Amino acid sequence: MLIWTLAKKDLRLLLRDPRAMVVLLAMPLIFILVLGMSLGEGFGQKPDDRLRISIVDLDKPFYDEVTKKDITWSKTVMQDLAQTAGIRVEVIPSLAEAEELVSSSQRAAVLVFGPKFSEQVTLSSFLKGGVNPLFRDGVDINALDARMLVDQTQLTAASIIEQVGQVTLLRTVLPWMIGRAFERIGQQMGKFVGNALQSMFPNYDLTGTTWQALTRAEARTDQRADISVYGSAKGTGIIGRGAQRYQTLVPSYTVMFAYFLVLTVGWLFVAERRQGTLKRLRAAPLSRSEILLGKLLPCFLLSLAQGIFLLVAGKLVFGMSWGDHPLWLLLVVFTTSLSAMGLALLVASVAKSEAQVAIYGTLLVLVLAGISGCLMGDRDLMPENMKQFSLITPQAWALVAYKQLLANTGPANLTLVAQSCVALTAFGLGFLGLAWIFLRLDTQT
Amino acid sequence: MAQPLLEVLDLRKRYGRNTALDGVSFQVFEGELFGLLGPNGAGKTTLLSIVSCLLEPTSGEAKILGRKASTSDRGLRREIGIVPQESAIYGELSARENLRFFGSLYGIRGPKLEQRVDYLLEAIGLADRASERVEGFSGGMKRRLNLGAAIVHEPKLLLLDEPTTGVDPQSRNHIFEEVRRLAASGVTIVYTTHYIEEVETLCSRVGIIDHGKLIACDDLATMLQTIEGVIRFRVGESTPAFEQRLRQIPGTQLNGHAGPAIELECHDVKTALMQLIRVLNELKVELLSLETIEPNLERVFLHLTGHALRD
Repeated sequence: MLIWTLAKKDLRLLLRDPRAMVVLLAMPLIFILVLGMSLGEGFGQKPDDRLRISIVDLDKPFYDEVTKKDITWSKTVMQDLAQTAGIRVEVIPSLAEAEELVSSSQRAAVLVFGPKFSEQVTLSSFLKGGVNPLFRDGVDINALDARMLVDQTQLTAASIIEQVGQVTLLRTVLPWMIGRAFERIGQQMGKFVGNALQSMFPNYDLTGTTWQALTRAEARTDQRADISVYGSAKGTGIIGRGAQRYQTLVPSYTVMFAYFLVLTVGWLFVAERRQGTLKRLRAAPLSRSEILLGKLLPCFLLSLAQGIFLLVAGKLVFGMSWGDHPLWLLLVVFTTSLSAMGLALLVASVAKSEAQVAIYGTLLVLVLAGISGCLMGDRDLMPENMKQFSLITPQAWALVAYKQLLANTGPANLTLVAQSCVALTAFGLGFLGLAWIFLRLDTQT
Repeated sequence: MAQPLLEVLDLRKRYGRNTALDGVSFQVFEGELFGLLGPNGAGKTTLLSIVSCLLEPTSGEAKILGRKASTSDRGLRREIGIVPQESAIYGELSARENLRFFGSLYGIRGPKLEQRVDYLLEAIGLADRASERVEGFSGGMKRRLNLGAAIVHEPKLLLLDEPTTGVDPQSRNHIFEEVRRLAASGVTIVYTTHYIEEVETLCSRVGIIDHGKLIACDDLATMLQTIEGVIRFRVGESTPAFEQRLRQIPGTQLNGHAGPAIELECHDVKTALMQLIRVLNELKVELLSLETIEPNLERVFLHLTGHALRD
């Protein structure tokens, strides 16, 4: 009860202290806002050195009279591209967006499949009456209702993309045309001729309508298809709401500013000493533990509120996703607050004045933020050995957990999140233990 | 005779090589308003810290209500109220919130707490500003609230450590009134100060402390009797016959010349003065100037320590 009396008083003091509100709530939001607006769309995503092939897919399925089913050839082409080593496919939702990206030199070239692409590919044939898509340079994409948007300022990059497209289209169209032609030969000249031709080319399945079937190749297992949709990383509006970068920025600055609790708690303790009210508390029928718990409880509650506030603001203001495990986020906030509170009490136990709290507290928080990777917003920007070294800081563990829950490309590794929470708890208890040893409530009398 | 509520027995406190208290012993009786007079650094605050269970002595002990004052005795702290030198109140809270908070630390709750807070706000003259944040108060108002916070739990022993430092006359009068009222209601009070006039105005018994030692402890009247009054005067011509007659005035001692003035020490200044005037008339000696100095604590302090209180 007495602990709660003390806690209520400190909560009231904290809520009436504009410094605490600015440092703990306003500053992280401003940091996230400014950095979110100034950083590129690629921030917060793992650097990808694969060749990006951008595609606008306006293609419509076409009913093939021979196979008696709908075929969407653009999907086949994209799948082929995506399964090619060193290449990733990006689908741009609209032609207008693609034209904008090319004209603004954000893309060197974009391959556009028209609505009749599947029809034209299906009708492609060596035979009389069929569409002939082949010409001197490979596949005449215009004949297939496709085209290439090219940025005239990036012709080299555009020609590389064009050549990759050509190869893929050849791999798609050529076996289809060979297969269809061979079927026709079989139908018109009899099974004997067909078998004779097949025996002359034993390494090839001339009736196969795909490159893999034609070449009798094994299906690729070492390359996963990587097709992303343009826009998910960019976000909308001036601040790029919903952009991928906020999945990294929000947790980074949530963690960094959680440890600015050092200033708030430090000021609270020093003010209590300076005002002489600590003497009055000690003169009251309170134990040392009650006084400390009465001070820690509001700081912990404030830290929890700060963490939750920033994650909610991240969602509402920046369109951040809470991932698939929002309850685990609460655990990370809880354990981060615990370690921040421990560090705050440790600093409060050694600082003698408000100026010391401000100078040493800020320095400590910024150095730890720098080591852990909070300061630069993304730990992936750090070299691998520094990443390992950074695990001496609680901030780094908090970031590891947040990365798994909010910015991981695959499913979150909950074991790693749990490990991080245990580490944060250990940091918190360790700091509190040291603070308990160093903290002197009695002042010189 | 009343029972001693506070007994200080051979109390010593050392900080490294510095001795803050050196064998201090005294008693304060129930309902008494005891003044502890001494210059800054004399050891008054250390003494109050030990008595208020904030500090352990190096040796000796302080007993309150027969119980040894100790930092581990939480129960005893309920019987003590302390007014520290600094305004030990929260600037960001209102006067009412401060009193409520300190009251609730002593387990006072609900309507009883509200009644007590209302009463105190009235008593310390802050009722009309009860809801204002304390940071906007004057120094004197903060001092008054400081006193209120110390007595919100109705302690039996109130320790005031220089409660009027930097206080305006209006607030000082408020504090004096409240201290007198508390003493009249039976609260035992130890009032430390380096202002002699405060002790003379308020306290019935006084202890004088200097360099960690209690050099005198008695009721005020008795203490004043330990030194003589002085009549200092100048005459037109001082003859040997005149000085001989001065030496014959009973109850006086001729100190001789202090510059051009003559000093006559006396136990009873008024009687000695009448005798002096008679001698002057008889010998037709012209009186040029006259000054009487009654015994007071400042002179007692000077007499006992060899230096003035404010040195």
